[in-house]
Amino acid sequence: MKIIKNLTIGVGVALASQLALAADSGFTMATVNPEADRMALQNYFKKRFPEAEVQDYINGIYAVDADSRAQWEEIEEFPPYEFAVEEGETLFNTPFANGKGYADCFENGGIGIRQNFPYWNKEEGTVKTLEMEINECREANGEEPLKWGKGDIAKISAYMAWTSRDQVFNIDIPSDDPRAKAAYLDGKKFFYAKRGQLNLSCANCHVQGTNIRIRADLPSPQLGHVTHFPVFRSKWGELGTLHRRYSGCHKDSRSKPLKPQAERFRNLEYFQTYMSNGLVVNGPGARK
Amino acid sequence: MKKTLIAAAAALTLLPGFAAAESFDEAFLKNRAMYGKGHVFEWQGNQYVTLHEEEVEADVAATADNAKMMIDKAKAKNKEVAELGFEWKLTGDILKSAEAALAEGDYRKALDLAAQAKYHARIGIQQHEYAQSNWHLSVPQ
Repeated sequence: MKIIKNLTIGVGVALASQLALAADSGFTMATVNPEADRMALQNYFKKRFPEAEVQDYINGIYAVDADSRAQWEEIEEFPPYEFAVEEGETLFNTPFANGKGYADCFENGGIGIRQNFPYWNKEEGTVKTLEMEINECREANGEEPLKWGKGDIAKISAYMAWTSRDQVFNIDIPSDDPRAKAAYLDGKKFFYAKRGQLNLSCANCHVQGTNIRIRADLPSPQLGHVTHFPVFRSKWGELGTLHRRYSGCHKDSRSKPLKPQAERFRNLEYFQTYMSNGLVVNGPGARK
Repeated sequence: MKKTLIAAAAALTLLPGFAAAESFDEAFLKNRAMYGKGHVFEWQGNQYVTLHEEEVEADVAATADNAKMMIDKAKAKNKEVAELGFEWKLTGDILKSAEAALAEGDYRKALDLAAQAKYHARIGIQQHEYAQSNWHLSVPQ
């Protein structure tokens, strides 16, 4: 009887230790702490790649892989996105049919503001992205919205990022609206949840899998992921938005992607950009 | 003190045992991967066949009605996983191929493709359920 009792206590200890692990902090509305998440992510990469400077993570894989960096630096001597930025500037400054323009829709005339996106909009109760507000600006002025992934929207966004280079991301999660924290937590959960036929999460490639080959590719680190968007990808041969890249990643893991600018993709962008707080805008970027 | 030591020893003894026991799913997947479908294997003294439940379901007479019923079930299951946000990329095309096979009168092919699509959807739902309680496991602390 005594043995059974002791065994029961033992099993209890074993189960309690498992439950204690499962109840670790940061996974529920009660415990999630974005700043602790950001520091934990930075510390993770500092341990993985002690030679890399945190501020250099804006350069993605080129922060941690010297060979890739050498190739990229040569590409950057004649940036492939240069003409698209010029076209974006022209588009940005071309008035709508009603005589107004993008500058009328944004703070500071739309110049040097990329680092403020995405943000939590309390009135609408949702995360707003830069591309979303570009299209809302168009619609508010009687213009057709642009397609989300590439083309003019990417060019305009690239120009706006260009004017914001070196501005520091400081995404806010307002404490007076729990829905903002819920959106952040949803984005975090999305990032770490496995999905698709290959059973991969974003984190499998961009946290644990950073700089580990997937065939011929080296996945970039999650830290600094969003700072250089939109990007000119050699594979695309043109500029594309962050949500276009989200779609591509999902397809790569054989998961059916959400539509660009779907709420969960915006929550993901909110989480990812918060993780890059303290880093500077360096979009548009050039990637393989 | 003695009780605590015994309890701790019991915990340490039992934990590896919990971890080492092969679950039915693990045994099934291992045998399916090694021997393909239709292989008989033993688990905890009983015999099982490496067939997915959808393959058993599709093992019916190859008729238009059966094929259509299987496609409808696969579509319903895929709708369910899509609503959870865990739909797989290829399932929609597999369903289209199943419908094309049905239209061409190749009912066996239609049944098999619908079974595959329904399996994708079911595993996607399982993936969602797993994610709900395990997503945090790879978060850096």
